[in-house]
Amino acid sequence: MKALLKRDHWPLWVVLSVMALALILPAILPWTYDQIDWDAVRAPAFSGSHIFGTDEIGRDRLARLAAGTQVTLMVAIAAALVSLVVGIAWGATAGWVGGKVDEAMMRFVDALYALPFMFIVILLMVIFGRSILLVFVGIGLVEWLTMARVVRGQVMALKQRPFILAAEAAGSPPLTIILKHILPNIAGVALAYLMLTVPQVVMVESFLSFLGLGVQEPLTSLGILVKEGADDMDMTPLGLLLPGGLLVLLLVCLTIEGERLRDTYS
Amino acid sequence: MSIYEIRDMAIEIDGKRLVEGVNITVEAGKCTAIIGTSGSGKSLSCLTPFGLTSGVAQGSITLDGIDLIRADAHQMQEARSRLTGFVFQQPLTALTPHLTIGAQLQEAAAQAGSSRLSRHELAQRLDRVGLSRADERLDQFPHRLSGGERQRVMIAAAIAHEPKLLIADEPTSALDASLRGEIMALLDELRLERGLAMLLVSHDLASVEGHADHLIVMDQGRVVESGPTASLITNPQEEYTKRLIAATARLDEPAPQLQAVGDILLETEAVTVTFPRPGWRRGKIKAVTDTSLHVREGEALAIVGGSGSGKSTLGKAIAGIGPLTSGTISWQGQPLPKRRARTVAMRALIQPVFQDPVASLDPQWKVRDIVAEPVKNLQPEILRKDRDAIVLKALEDVELGEEYLDRMPTSLSGGQAQRVAIARAIIASPQLLVLDEATSALDPLVGSSILQLLRKLQQANNLSIIFITHDIASARRLCHRIAVLDEGVVVEMGDMDSVISNPTAVTTQKLIAAS
Amino acid sequence: MTAVPTLLAIILASFFLMRLAPGGPFDGERPLPPETQAALQTAYGLDKPLWEQAWIYVSRLVQGDFGPSLVYRDFTVSELVAQGLPISLTLGGLAIILALLIGISAGLFAAVRAGKAADKTIMMIATVATALPTFVTGPALALFFGLWLDLLPVSGTGEGWSWLIMPVIALALPVSGAIAKLTRAGLATVLKQDHIRTARARGLPETKILFKHGLRPALVPVASYLGPAAAGLLTGAVVVETVFGLPGLGRYFVQGALNRDYPLVLGVVTLYAALIILFNLFADLIYGWLDPRMREG
Repeated sequence: MKALLKRDHWPLWVVLSVMALALILPAILPWTYDQIDWDAVRAPAFSGSHIFGTDEIGRDRLARLAAGTQVTLMVAIAAALVSLVVGIAWGATAGWVGGKVDEAMMRFVDALYALPFMFIVILLMVIFGRSILLVFVGIGLVEWLTMARVVRGQVMALKQRPFILAAEAAGSPPLTIILKHILPNIAGVALAYLMLTVPQVVMVESFLSFLGLGVQEPLTSLGILVKEGADDMDMTPLGLLLPGGLLVLLLVCLTIEGERLRDTYS
Repeated sequence: MSIYEIRDMAIEIDGKRLVEGVNITVEAGKCTAIIGTSGSGKSLSCLTPFGLTSGVAQGSITLDGIDLIRADAHQMQEARSRLTGFVFQQPLTALTPHLTIGAQLQEAAAQAGSSRLSRHELAQRLDRVGLSRADERLDQFPHRLSGGERQRVMIAAAIAHEPKLLIADEPTSALDASLRGEIMALLDELRLERGLAMLLVSHDLASVEGHADHLIVMDQGRVVESGPTASLITNPQEEYTKRLIAATARLDEPAPQLQAVGDILLETEAVTVTFPRPGWRRGKIKAVTDTSLHVREGEALAIVGGSGSGKSTLGKAIAGIGPLTSGTISWQGQPLPKRRARTVAMRALIQPVFQDPVASLDPQWKVRDIVAEPVKNLQPEILRKDRDAIVLKALEDVELGEEYLDRMPTSLSGGQAQRVAIARAIIASPQLLVLDEATSALDPLVGSSILQLLRKLQQANNLSIIFITHDIASARRLCHRIAVLDEGVVVEMGDMDSVISNPTAVTTQKLIAAS
Repeated sequence: MTAVPTLLAIILASFFLMRLAPGGPFDGERPLPPETQAALQTAYGLDKPLWEQAWIYVSRLVQGDFGPSLVYRDFTVSELVAQGLPISLTLGGLAIILALLIGISAGLFAAVRAGKAADKTIMMIATVATALPTFVTGPALALFFGLWLDLLPVSGTGEGWSWLIMPVIALALPVSGAIAKLTRAGLATVLKQDHIRTARARGLPETKILFKHGLRPALVPVASYLGPAAAGLLTGAVVVETVFGLPGLGRYFVQGALNRDYPLVLGVVTLYAALIILFNLFADLIYGWLDPRMREG
């Protein structure tokens, strides 16, 4: 924990600050994200109570930015957790049991890996409708593959290490070995890949929203904001640059932090 | 005539002085060997003068008249390419994986600027170093060859351009024990044939003894002692040298005093272990075939063989941590069930100790928990507070103090970690220890102290031991009897001394020659 | 080879999804003009048992017949695909070539100067590049070069090749960043390996060592990345085509998804899956050339 306070971890602090702001701002701003200010449509930045101005309908940009960030990050973390749980369960089982079971399980993963999963997600969305639950689950189900592969590799490597054999010789039952010996030793790698999954999910969610297939009105997300901004960019470039810039900032910070963790634990 | 002369060399890396006051002389046609443990600076001393490490050398270094310290880039390149050949430790990684053997040999031969060799000439060179089917090999990639074959290729490449100096950094350490003798003999032959000056580096005194004219002993970056091999070994002057020589097991030293043995404890009958081939390939790999042996109370049995001989697999099957395909393993007449069916009481009888000490300890656990694990499972009736006392006693038995209780495995040295592993093995009072190459990964001095510890424990607790190793001389210091394995089959078994003085199997003879 | 069964599985899964999906043409919820009904009837044999329908679908698919489009009434899916595929392929192809060129050169440049300022700067730029989603860079580029500087066309094709520039750059950026990082990491690792030391010990000049002994193993991570890179490019192409109004496959796909034109959507998915599988096979071949150890099973 103390290590996180060092200067090296500045990306993490940026992300946490953004999250904090996204949570706090709606409480203190005079406008909500869907409130329309009939007197100020397409207002430029710093006009009255609208710090970043308003959009083409009259909604406060900053409020929408905060709300969109909340949704985007919430979806990202939830989906990343889904991928973590599914990935660890799958990968650990395949790695521990080994043999034909492992082969079958990993071929399944390989086959899925080759797919344009984005399209499958979109397909599912189209067929089953657009609920936020589906967004969570769909994205998480797509991202678990890498986690499964990584966990399976780690578990297989660990299984052969002498300290696991020694634990068996010392009479520890398999469940104890998995819980007390294997899981603590894959925690680091799993955490690192979790951090790397979050930006992936943010990209996927934003991408879906951009296409109009993700989060639904009245909710908003960074992806939707970028789309709205892009549609309107000839009139007000700020509408594109603000959410776009924030999105890129979040992605860059999450990626840097995730890679640092991954390099530590590899 | 000395080809290579180093006087008072010091080596620094990042401002830290790691090697100091080193003198080395190598003469044409003769071999000088540097002996030392890891961290002694022996490899640094050999490779730094040629710019192959990140270190910076100072002092006087002369190769065939060229001053290597003051050499400019061109002269250094000449020194490397024309005058010197190198053989490194790990033949697998030392060859470029995506170029064929022939291409790499050609490059080696051409490095001194001579013209291209014909295919026939290349094949001849491979043949000279004892590589069978030389012409075929030219088109193969390195990963298709075995370790011994790759090292022969490295040697061929190292002398292809007719250098004057050959530097070999642990040339046999990564090879199977039975091959070591052959490779060293090959190097001797080539040296005498071409009048090569050879500089050899090793951590194992025994492997260089018969091949080096001159010996240099290094420790912690300094030369401890140096002189002609024969006189150094029979008459060492320095304390360190004496300890090193004493630690190195030799076949001609006096036989140890071993304790008396009792009745048969463990017996294996027609034990066979087969594995399915990995991937989709058909067929099975026979690791151990039809092996029968026994161990008595208080007895130490050595299971000796090269790598791939199946000795580890057999040891694991006996200890109940590896597969058993057919045959029986019995304890005092009663058959022991296979791996997962063994009860807690059965587990308490036999405990393993492994080769890599640090890898045999869970890096996330403290020493205290590691050593306590067998007690928790095999003697659950003991309460936690009593358990701590038992853990302390076990650590004491392996000569480690209370301060080790809260340490993590990554902070331990190889020797300390192995002691912790032994403490864990003996804490629940087993009757048989299976030691799988328990000293092979340790430095000679550390390894011999572990061996002494094992003898002490054996006598104190009347322990039976199965000592799996490739090093017959070490086994002799501990064991009453010996079984020799080759390709999963017992090729020879009997009393230690009679097998050593009259080896019947070829494998045994090779292993004896390697000592 | 898992390729064929995978593709078959996708096709079958798509078929069953389509049949089961609500709001489709098959459960009578949507009133369709009689000609389309008749076309569907023949195409899918709706009166036959389900598994026979599946067989009909697959056999037609294999012959290149994806069925009629529900939305673009006058066209079959195959015709739409034939229109859109060349554009998407051009985009994707140019993007990957550009990404490889920039990425590998940048990675090599950085690796040779490992630890120095140039290395750190290039790697930071590469990391930022990987975090640039195409749906942000696309519009941003269009804004800057299209609207503000009026240098390049903001939408549509035509007028020679200039319409390709911005979409290809937007597509290639994140991929080139990833390739740069992989190349640099790969080379930095390889340069520490034993066989490089052996080559140095032979007195070979550094450039020769780099290119003859170091380059191929260093590119192995890049080769393994090519498969996922292709998948990423295809999805990125969807965005880029939408943003720049290019009539490629991606745009048809999005329109089809929004309008619930199932045959179109499924046809495109199947096609993309096939393309990616092909590309993966190609990447495997390259991998085998780079590292002979991978050649045998």
